Amino acid sequence: MVRTDALPFLERTDWQNRAMTSVGGKRARSLTPVETAQASVMGALSAALAIVSVVVPFAGGLSLLVTVPMGLLGYRYRLRVLLAATFAASAIGFVIAGISGFMVVLNCAYVGGLTGIIKRRGGGAPTVIAVSIVAGVLNGLLIIAALTVLVRLRTLALDAIAANIDGMLNAISAVPLLRESAEQTRVITAAILRNWPVLIMFNSIFSIMLVSVVGWWALSRVLDRLRGIPDVHKLEAVTEPGPVVPLPIRMSQARFRYPGADHDALAPLSLTIASGEHVAVVGANGSGKTTLMLLLCGRPPTSGRIDRPGAIGLGQLGGTAVVMQHPESGVLGTRVADDVVWGLPPGTRTDVAGLLGEVGLAGMEERDTGGLSGGELQRLAVAAALARQPAVLIADEITSMVDQRGREALLGVLSGLADRRKMALVHITHYNNEAEIADRTVNLSDSVDNMVMVGSTAPPAPTATPIPTPALSNAVPVLYVDRVGHVYGSGTPWAKTALRDVSFTVNEGDGVLIHGGNGSGKSTLAWIMAGLTKPTTGSCLVRSRPAHEHVGDVAIAFQAARLQLLRSRVDLEVASAAGFSPWDTHRVVSALATVGLDGSLARRRVDQLSGGQMRRVAIAGLLARRPQALILDEPLAGLDAASQRGLLRLLTELRLNTGLTVVVISHDFAGLEELCPRILHLENGMVAPASRATGAAGGVS
Amino acid sequence: MSATRQRRPVVLLRPVPGTSVIHQLWAGTKLIVVVVISILLAFYPGWIVIGLMAALVGIAIWLAHIPRGAMPSIPWWVWILLLFGAVTATLGGGEPILRLWSLDLEVGGLLKFLRITALSIVLLALGAMVSWTTNVADVAPAIATLGRPLRPLRIPVDDWAVVLALALRAFPMLLDEFRLLYAARRLRPRAVLPDGRAKRRRWFTDMVDLLAAGVTVALRRADEMGDAITARGGTGQIAAAPSRPRRADWVALTICAAVCALAMVLEIKGLG
Repeated sequence: MVRTDALPFLERTDWQNRAMTSVGGKRARSLTPVETAQASVMGALSAALAIVSVVVPFAGGLSLLVTVPMGLLGYRYRLRVLLAATFAASAIGFVIAGISGFMVVLNCAYVGGLTGIIKRRGGGAPTVIAVSIVAGVLNGLLIIAALTVLVRLRTLALDAIAANIDGMLNAISAVPLLRESAEQTRVITAAILRNWPVLIMFNSIFSIMLVSVVGWWALSRVLDRLRGIPDVHKLEAVTEPGPVVPLPIRMSQARFRYPGADHDALAPLSLTIASGEHVAVVGANGSGKTTLMLLLCGRPPTSGRIDRPGAIGLGQLGGTAVVMQHPESGVLGTRVADDVVWGLPPGTRTDVAGLLGEVGLAGMEERDTGGLSGGELQRLAVAAALARQPAVLIADEITSMVDQRGREALLGVLSGLADRRKMALVHITHYNNEAEIADRTVNLSDSVDNMVMVGSTAPPAPTATPIPTPALSNAVPVLYVDRVGHVYGSGTPWAKTALRDVSFTVNEGDGVLIHGGNGSGKSTLAWIMAGLTKPTTGSCLVRSRPAHEHVGDVAIAFQAARLQLLRSRVDLEVASAAGFSPWDTHRVVSALATVGLDGSLARRRVDQLSGGQMRRVAIAGLLARRPQALILDEPLAGLDAASQRGLLRLLTELRLNTGLTVVVISHDFAGLEELCPRILHLENGMVAPASRATGAAGGVS
Repeated sequence: MSATRQRRPVVLLRPVPGTSVIHQLWAGTKLIVVVVISILLAFYPGWIVIGLMAALVGIAIWLAHIPRGAMPSIPWWVWILLLFGAVTATLGGGEPILRLWSLDLEVGGLLKFLRITALSIVLLALGAMVSWTTNVADVAPAIATLGRPLRPLRIPVDDWAVVLALALRAFPMLLDEFRLLYAARRLRPRAVLPDGRAKRRRWFTDMVDLLAAGVTVALRRADEMGDAITARGGTGQIAAAPSRPRRADWVALTICAAVCALAMVLEIKGLG
């Protein structure tokens, strides 16, 4: 959850206050990139909710809330977007959960869309009820019409229902006392089933009204919550006339200030970028690295000039290509080959195999992008950028969320690329060894001591012994992992072994780093230690009790801190996670103080916190329950250098001063030596032997 | 330490590894077959049609080499519900009457119950067959091809196909996020509440909290995805390989059409 950290000076427009999508003229236009993305993600969200409500037993109540994502779309965007999302969601519903999934999605889109549109038009609860009655009548008529045509299906269904009811009543009338009422019920149900259209009509009106009212209520609550969410979308498509010739770029005293900000996001900068150059852009957080990327992509500077011979052509053939920070979000195709060509004009021929070979992914055309590691995803994104044969390629901190090995492979792809492809490469980074491979470096920070760049550390030798041997005589074991193995989907054709025969002990006050690359099984191990997953074989004991029977004894802080913060405000969140009353201000403040946060933050909305603060609030809530141990899954990922140092110092102090047992799950070593003196290497689900692990992790792949 | 017997989970949107004639069929063919069979069963849900369609689906599943393990474990309460339904339907009686030695059994109700259960199972198997043998990446391009005739009606088929493709890409990521949300909720202490009303209210506020967290994450994902689309210069191609039927597809479609026609004729004649 970096975004607010990494982009401190981007506009934070309220999500709700974004301008309504303009509908240009009378003719409906195709969906814009933002609309397309919103429609797909919200469509997927409502499909996921609907499927969970159909597939998981007793989760039917959830289907009342499936209306919310569609309601949001109806509220925010034009009808076209809602229709596209409905189509996508119902198609997914159909493929996964058959007709019932399809019907749930369709109904929820219908009701949700209506409530969203009413909300946008400023209607109130009475309007919702009135409209839902009309909608219910229309829906009922539709079903009656369908069943009138499908005579045999209707007869079969009604007969089957009648048989079940009759049977039940027959059984009941065996009891003499109940015979009379059973006979009455029989007459009534028979009459109702004979007049099935009436039954269907009432049912339709009632259910649509219920779903509408609940959906309306939930939508209003959720919209209230979304008020403070910053808009993190950055790129704007610019329509520009003329041929695409972005190079050479000449910036003279170009400066940028966001509207309403009190200082420049980018100080006046003069710069020329020509073909064949590899330029590294470095600078501290907030020095304007990302802003420079936006200017190169076509945002007009606040003052100064940026000259180019022709159009920028963002994403066009021969234009400007961008690869951004988040590996998962940058990849749009489900299959590797599809992602390379994604978005190219229809009919463009692309040498997919050649491009994949160039970025070191040769032969992976048919692979599913869902199974790629962060580093592979980023190389794939580079291949997709190169498929546009760009004149300029901008790589914006593309290695910051990638592990050591992935970083080295990515740098291998980038080095020499500008020369080979006769294009300009603008490489924005905060790693010092990455700037070294460039032809020249542009430093955006003024002062030298402000230039904190993260160095990458060579892996130290593992120190944790795989065999549980108490190191000290007075060591008290907290976590005892005994021959744990785990298989996902065991017994199915998709079975995948995540862990094999892992044994180790974590003692009280220990600091252990569980280190491993992508797919090494380290996250599975973390979930097992927290009791969230029951291992297929072996056992994990917390103070000699099975972990999965005592969820909550061992705290775990997830990498995606935002998902762990379920309440809207900091004090509510901490109180709910720790299990005390939110009015207990004293305890809330002291819990926040434990993680070095000021008590004044207690009333702050969760969505207004920075990435580092979110992580600290999550840890505060967990620690307030006095857990046996604290597991941190990639605690440093996505934080800037200063926040990383602060968090590490805090955790180290907590461990040394309060005796907190800390287990860190990470693919990196940098700066963790003091927090975690013991290291356990995981490789392919097994504890790697000490002698091999050093070489393997340190080697360049 | 013996391996604990695990329930086989429902695996979503992932084809059974390996390849077969059915795996290699065009995704559009499989979608057409599903739609045609569903419509046929909706109009003529008789034993003959159900039986023939079950045979068709069964043969397809056999051809696709689907192992038994692909089927998720059926929870016990489904069996209980089925049993309860069967018993009450039998007690309902009705024509025809089955003579067993000296016992007269009215099995009409039971037969109707069995027929509607069989119908549901065939429909479920039909859907499962498609998801077991189809790569999700092939679905959206196939729909774009199938929807081509709708273009003159000003239905934005291409936009829809793009949105579907991206939704399928986002879907597993969102499921992962739900898994995390659920885990985060499990880690919290449970509030002790006095009565049912307070519990219900808490359930709803909890749900709204979860939903708000989920929507927040989804919005961020959508923002980033929008950026990624802009960076690619807007929408365009969605697949590297062309999506169209081949000879095997025409064969499969012909077989399906023939069986459906046969089933319809038999059903109409059989019922007089």
